[in-house]
Amino acid sequence: MRYVVGYSANARGHDAVNLAVSLALGRGASLDLVLVVPEVQQFGAAHSPRVGFEHLLNEQAQEWLDQALALVPSGVPAQAHVRSGDSDAHALIQAAEEFGADMLIIGATSSGIFKRFSIGSVASALLHASTVPVALAPHGYHRQEALTRISCGLGTRAGAEKLLDFALGMATNRDVPLRVVSLLALDGRHAAEATEAAQAAREYAEKHLAAALPVGEQEEVRVEAKTEVVVAQGRSIEEAVDRLDWEDGEVLLIGSSRLATSRSIFLGSTANRILRALPVPMIVVPSDYELKQQNHSASNDAPREAQK
Amino acid sequence: MSAEHAMSKASHAGQHTEDQHGLSEKGLKAGSVGLIGAVVIGVSCIAPAYTLTAALGPTVAEVGVHLPAIFLVGFVPMLLVAFGYRELNNAMPDAGTSFTWASRAFGPWLGWMGGWGLIAATIIVLSNLAAVAVDFFYLMLSQIFGNPDLADLTKNLPLNIATTLVFITLACWISYRGMETTKTVQYVLVGFQLLVLGWFAVAAFSHVANGTAFDATAIEPNWFNPFAVESFSAFAAGVSLSIFIYWGWDVTLTMNEETKNPEKTPGRAATVTVLVIVIIYMTVALATLSYAGIGTEGLGAGNPENQASIFAVLAGPVMGPFAVLMSLAILSSSAASLQSTFVSPARTLLSMGHYKALPRKFSRISPTHKSPSYATIASAVAAAAFYVITRTTSENALWDTITALGMMICFYYGITAMACVWFFRAEAFSGAQAFFFKFLAPLLGGVILLVMFCKTAYDSMDPAYGSGSSIGGLGLVFILGMGVILLGVVLMLVMAKVRPEFFKGEVLSRGK
Repeated sequence: MRYVVGYSANARGHDAVNLAVSLALGRGASLDLVLVVPEVQQFGAAHSPRVGFEHLLNEQAQEWLDQALALVPSGVPAQAHVRSGDSDAHALIQAAEEFGADMLIIGATSSGIFKRFSIGSVASALLHASTVPVALAPHGYHRQEALTRISCGLGTRAGAEKLLDFALGMATNRDVPLRVVSLLALDGRHAAEATEAAQAAREYAEKHLAAALPVGEQEEVRVEAKTEVVVAQGRSIEEAVDRLDWEDGEVLLIGSSRLATSRSIFLGSTANRILRALPVPMIVVPSDYELKQQNHSASNDAPREAQK
Repeated sequence: MSAEHAMSKASHAGQHTEDQHGLSEKGLKAGSVGLIGAVVIGVSCIAPAYTLTAALGPTVAEVGVHLPAIFLVGFVPMLLVAFGYRELNNAMPDAGTSFTWASRAFGPWLGWMGGWGLIAATIIVLSNLAAVAVDFFYLMLSQIFGNPDLADLTKNLPLNIATTLVFITLACWISYRGMETTKTVQYVLVGFQLLVLGWFAVAAFSHVANGTAFDATAIEPNWFNPFAVESFSAFAAGVSLSIFIYWGWDVTLTMNEETKNPEKTPGRAATVTVLVIVIIYMTVALATLSYAGIGTEGLGAGNPENQASIFAVLAGPVMGPFAVLMSLAILSSSAASLQSTFVSPARTLLSMGHYKALPRKFSRISPTHKSPSYATIASAVAAAAFYVITRTTSENALWDTITALGMMICFYYGITAMACVWFFRAEAFSGAQAFFFKFLAPLLGGVILLVMFCKTAYDSMDPAYGSGSSIGGLGLVFILGMGVILLGVVLMLVMAKVRPEFFKGEVLSRGK
């Protein structure tokens, strides 16, 4: 298992490293810290050949990466890489594909002054193009311990089964509870209607969860004991998110919008609003992304790393 | 199926950074620039629409109808120095360029001054570029709205200074964010500039042919004779101005690994670039002289009123309603150059900070944008300050800054050329090629430029020099040029006290 971490020598980069360590600890994954430096162009740089600047930039990048590696505890294997490219997002995706990575981890904030999550330009570019799940660390994420719970946000759109499979796999592999979350924005509906909607959402979630649970008798009991279904309501999605309790060591899984071309991520408007209110990291899974990391899976698929 | 990777059980690799010398191989798009691309880069670094509007007037003021001759002669020292520049760049590729090379050849003191000259020249050109952009910004507004009053807004001192500062701030911000003009934009800008300049020349010649020119003047062979320039002073002033119009051309010679064919492309690109540039300069110079003459009245190229920005005056009468294209071409090319030129002093300052020749903060690279952060802002502040000072003390700031700039380029190019001669002195006589490129060419070029520098500096003490602005009986150009160099000496002495390692030769050692 390899996770690619998009690193930059600022608060955003630190958030990403911390989240990567949390995610890696429960899975024994190794980290590839990738620092993207811009491609120094000859176009538009009068009176200054680029070669020397590239050298200084590279030296600085190595220094930054050494500092980044020092942030990683000794139990987590990590390597550092300098990549150059015009677009950070593009370079990170390329690195993820090259390393056969199972996840891309980045800090999502641009400023973090107003909202816990306000998506930076790199993050938003990544979410439009990544073919592997993207984990977004909120501003100031400092935890470096293994996850304690996985939440999975369930919408009513197609693809929910795939997402639930992924979430179940993640929870089982890490041996942590899974919480299936249905978020309802009830904007001014009557109480009776609200209860009805909540009931419908719960039934929907339970039905899908039941379908996703493994069939083996014993297995089912073991996994089922650790899953729960929650329906959260609020006048808005943001309020619903706020009303849920979140553990420090929790992450929220979200499927990407159906606008996305198959196998790439696009953050829908609901997901975007969730992101703004969410106090914990979010992992956005591309539509049609197949989880290939379940230990118990009977699938014959080769490991992801071997596919490339 | 377990996806646990065998690697993850490997010993902790945490403190090991992948050993990558130079940039990661994948990053460098080796060989992505072809001949045309390289020529476009060369032409865009020169920005002919901007250089012509800025330098044509002041050069006519010095040498009159011998403008074509001086434009041709000005290329010779530039070519000679560029050979040396290329040798140094191949031997010691470094972001500090002149600073690093002169330090390696002559030691820290002259090296520091070489770097200072380069920074000063680029800072001065930044303030001039911004000012030209502002002039044509208002001119274009007036042409679009058909309201001549708008063009006069640029003469309103507080408004002019405020707009210029806004332009400088914008360019600095773009540069700080690490954004660069893309290839496509650069192609469009260069194509548009050449097209509009060609249009201007054709329109001017057809006015001459139709008898509608302002002061139709027949072209004479004598215009091409540099020895017909009346005095050596005028000749020196003209040459140091025309160095400016080729400044940036040397970039084509230093492009190596990024070209598709490093053996041949840089040389060919440099040749094609200079041909394109010389043709366009000659055509426009001849068109301007034939159309407007060098009279000091009205539209004449000799009229001091017109000399700061010749196209601002001539484009209207020559091109009619299409003059707005000229404004657009100059505005876009000077704005693009403004942004790309910011890179230069910022990188030199960064390099000087790196070698401990400047305070440590100059060597900062922004973690977010990966651009020289402190150095870029420092360049913007210096360019803004230089502009405010010149604008408030000079009757014709554009004219005087261009003259001071020519002097500054002669100064640091002269030092750079001499650094080449001295650095390679041991191999100078090892073969004909080394003798020419590492010794003779840079020596000649360097001597010419330093002579031009001294002569111009001496002449500019005359209060009537340049636009005729003066302070305390000394010409403003002299005060600007020498003031900047003196400021460099003072800062250097301060730095030697504050951070002596570099000046003891402990950071950049002399010789190979």
